[in-house]
Amino acid sequence: MHIAVSFNIASAAGQAAEPDFSRIAGFVRKAEAAGLDMVVISDSAAGGQQASSPFEATTLLAALATVTERIGLVAGASTLAHQPYNLARRFASLDIISHGRVGWNATMVQGPREAANFSRPEGISDDDFRRRAEEFIGIVQGLWKGWDTDALLFDKVGGRFHDPEKMHLLDHKGEFFSVRGPLNVARSPQDTPVLVVSGLAETDLDFAARMADVILIEEQSLESAKAAYDDLRRRTLAAGRNPDAVKVLISAAAGPELAVDRLEAWFGAKGCDGFSMVLPPLPSALDDFADRLLPELHRRGLPRPDYTGTTLRARLGLGGGNRP
Amino acid sequence: MTVRKRQMKLGLFLWATGHHIAAWRHPKAHVTAGIDIDHYIRLARTAEAAKLDMIFCEDAAGLREANVGIASQTSRSIGFEPISLLAAIAVQTERIGLVSTASTSYNEPYGLARTFASLDHLSGGRAGWNLVTSANHIEAANFGSTGLRPHADRYERAREFAAVVAGLWRGAEALNHEGQSFSVKDALDLPRSQQGAPVMVQAGASEDGQDLAARTADVVFSAAQTFEEAKALYDGLKGRLAAYGREPDDVKIMPGVAPVVAETEAEAREKYEALQELIPDDVGVALLSSYLSISDLWRYPIDGPLPELPPSEGMKSRQALVIEQSRRDNLSIRDLARHFAGARGHWRVVGTPAQIADELQARFEGGAADGFNVMPSWFPGELDAFATLVVPELQRRGLFRREYEGRTLREHLGLKRPV
Repeated sequence: MHIAVSFNIASAAGQAAEPDFSRIAGFVRKAEAAGLDMVVISDSAAGGQQASSPFEATTLLAALATVTERIGLVAGASTLAHQPYNLARRFASLDIISHGRVGWNATMVQGPREAANFSRPEGISDDDFRRRAEEFIGIVQGLWKGWDTDALLFDKVGGRFHDPEKMHLLDHKGEFFSVRGPLNVARSPQDTPVLVVSGLAETDLDFAARMADVILIEEQSLESAKAAYDDLRRRTLAAGRNPDAVKVLISAAAGPELAVDRLEAWFGAKGCDGFSMVLPPLPSALDDFADRLLPELHRRGLPRPDYTGTTLRARLGLGGGNRP
Repeated sequence: MTVRKRQMKLGLFLWATGHHIAAWRHPKAHVTAGIDIDHYIRLARTAEAAKLDMIFCEDAAGLREANVGIASQTSRSIGFEPISLLAAIAVQTERIGLVSTASTSYNEPYGLARTFASLDHLSGGRAGWNLVTSANHIEAANFGSTGLRPHADRYERAREFAAVVAGLWRGAEALNHEGQSFSVKDALDLPRSQQGAPVMVQAGASEDGQDLAARTADVVFSAAQTFEEAKALYDGLKGRLAAYGREPDDVKIMPGVAPVVAETEAEAREKYEALQELIPDDVGVALLSSYLSISDLWRYPIDGPLPELPPSEGMKSRQALVIEQSRRDNLSIRDLARHFAGARGHWRVVGTPAQIADELQARFEGGAADGFNVMPSWFPGELDAFATLVVPELQRRGLFRREYEGRTLREHLGLKRPV
C-alpha cells in the first residue's frame, strides 16, 4: 500500500499561528521517518485573502528537499499560472536538487480567481482549461525527455561537455502553445519527475491513463472506488501501458477519527493502490497527524512492498531509473 | 570618535562552472556543477563566510547558444533553474542575500511576486529579483511563435510588470489592476516580507533600461571596462534619480568584475593564460562573431587579421573601436577571440590581492561604483582565492565589513525599507 499525505499550506485563512519552515520541515521529516511514500503540497494561488502560509509550494519543496533524504516531494502548480517551459524547468531542477524524489501535481480543475489574477479578466471556460492543461502536460513531459540519460560527457580533455546528438528539440506547435525546447536542465535522476494528476472528470480519464504516473481520486464508497479503479486500469491497458505503471490513490480526509479499518478494507478489496491522506488546513493538524495517526498506521504495519530504490519512482514501483 | 568609513558592497555572481567560457575544462573546476546542489551550497557558504552581501544568479529560459556544436563545447546548456536553486540555498545559509533573475516577458506578475515573496520568507528577508526583459530569440521560441517583441514594447511591458509586482509586495489591498499587458484583481495571498519587499535589481544599459532602473531598482549591475566608462554610467544613473523623487544613495551601482588573483602577479598572469589556452578556437570565434555581428568570421584564417568589413547596421561604437584597436595592435582573429571569450565584456583584473584591492578601491572611492559583482573565472578555485586573498585585504583597508551587521539583504545593502 502506498501512503501519501496531502496538505494545503495556504488555506488556513484567519489562523493565528502560521506554519514556519522549521515546523513544516519537522512534520515532513516525521512523515519520512514513518515510511510514507510522499507528501503532496498545494497552495491556493489567488484566493483573494491573506493566506496563513508565507510559502509558495515549489519554492517550499526546494527547501524541503535539502532537509529530507527519502520521502517523495510533490507540489501542486497551476497550468494557468505558469508557462509550460518554466514549469518543466522548475520541476526538473527540483528533481535534481532532491536526487530524484519530486513530482508535479497537475490538476484538471481551475482554481478560483486564478484567471482574474493571471491576466485573463474574461476567464477561461472549463473546456478550454482542460484542453489547454492536456497540451501543457504533454509539453512538460516532452521537455523532461529532451536530454538522453547519457548526454553529458564532462570530457575536459577532449573539450566535449555533452554529446550534441543526445539533446533533442521538442518543436511543439499546438492549439495553445508553441515550444521549441530543449530544456536547459539535465535529465532527471529518476528519468522524469513523477506526474500526479487530480481533479479528473469523466472526459479526462483516457488522458490520465495515457500520461499519469499517479492518479488521485476522491473519497467514495468502496463499490464505486473499486469500479473507478478497475476502469482506470482498463483504460491504462488500452493506452498500451502496463496497468501497474499507474498508481491510483484515494484522497481520504485524515481527521482525528481517521478510520484505519476503512482504509484497510478498501485496499484489501483492491479498490486502489493506496491513499493520500488529506490533512485539514490547520497548522496543528500537521503535528497531530505526525504524533498520533502515523504511529497508529505504523503499528498496524500496513503492508508496503520493500523497495530498495531511492527515487520516488522506485518507491512507487514505477520503474524509470534509480540512478544516484 | 571615529567616523565609519563608507564600505563597498560585494556580490558573488554565480554562473555555471565559472565565468570564463572554458572554466569547465580547468583541471580543478567542478565540472558537474549543473547537477550538484551540494556544490552550490558550498559556494554560497564560502561567500557567506567572506561576509558578501549576496549571491546572484543570472538566467535565461533556453539554451545560450543556437549552434549545438558550439554549445556542446561549453558547460552552459544545462544547470539549475535559479529560483529553486536559491530556495534550496536559503535554508542552508543564514545571512547572505539571494538574488535571482526572472524575465518580465515570460512570466506573469502575480506568479512572480508570489514566488519571490516565498523565497523572501524562506530566507528571512534575504531575497532579490533581477528584472530582465529577455532579448534573446532562443528564449522567445520556447514561449510561443510570435518571436521577440520589439525593444520598446518589452520595456513598456516591464514597467507595468514592475509596478504590479511592487504593488503586490506592498500590501493587503486588492490591486484591481487593469493595464495594457496585465490584469490582476487581488492582493498577494502571502504575508508581507521581513524586509518590506524583496530587493529590486536591474542590469539594462539601454536608455529604456536606465530609465526603468532609475524608477524602480534598488541595485544596478552594470558592465564597464574602463574607469571612465564606469564613472559615466554611475553619474548618469544617479543623475536620473531625482526626477523620480529618489536620493542618489537609494540605488547601489555594482559593476561586474572578473578578478584573477594569486600571491604574485606572474602567478596570476600564468593562471589566466592557462585558462585562455583552454578555449576551443571555434568557440572563441563563434563568440567573437556574434559580438561583432559578423556571421562568417570562421571563413578567415584564424592566425590572420580581422578581414576588411563594410560597417554593418547593428554595429555599435564600442565594437567599431575593438576592430580599430585590433588593427593597431596587429591582433589575429584568435587573439581577439580569446580576449572576448575570456571576459564577456566585463572588467577583468589580473594581479596580486593588493593590486586587485587597489583597482577596486580606485573605482569605489573615485565615485564609479558602490560595490562590485564578483565574477570568478572558475568554481570553486577562483572564488576561494577571492574570499581568502582579496576580501581580507579589503577588510584591512576598512573597505569591507568584517561581520554582518544586519539580517536582511536590505540591511546589508543599506537600503530603505519600502513604505
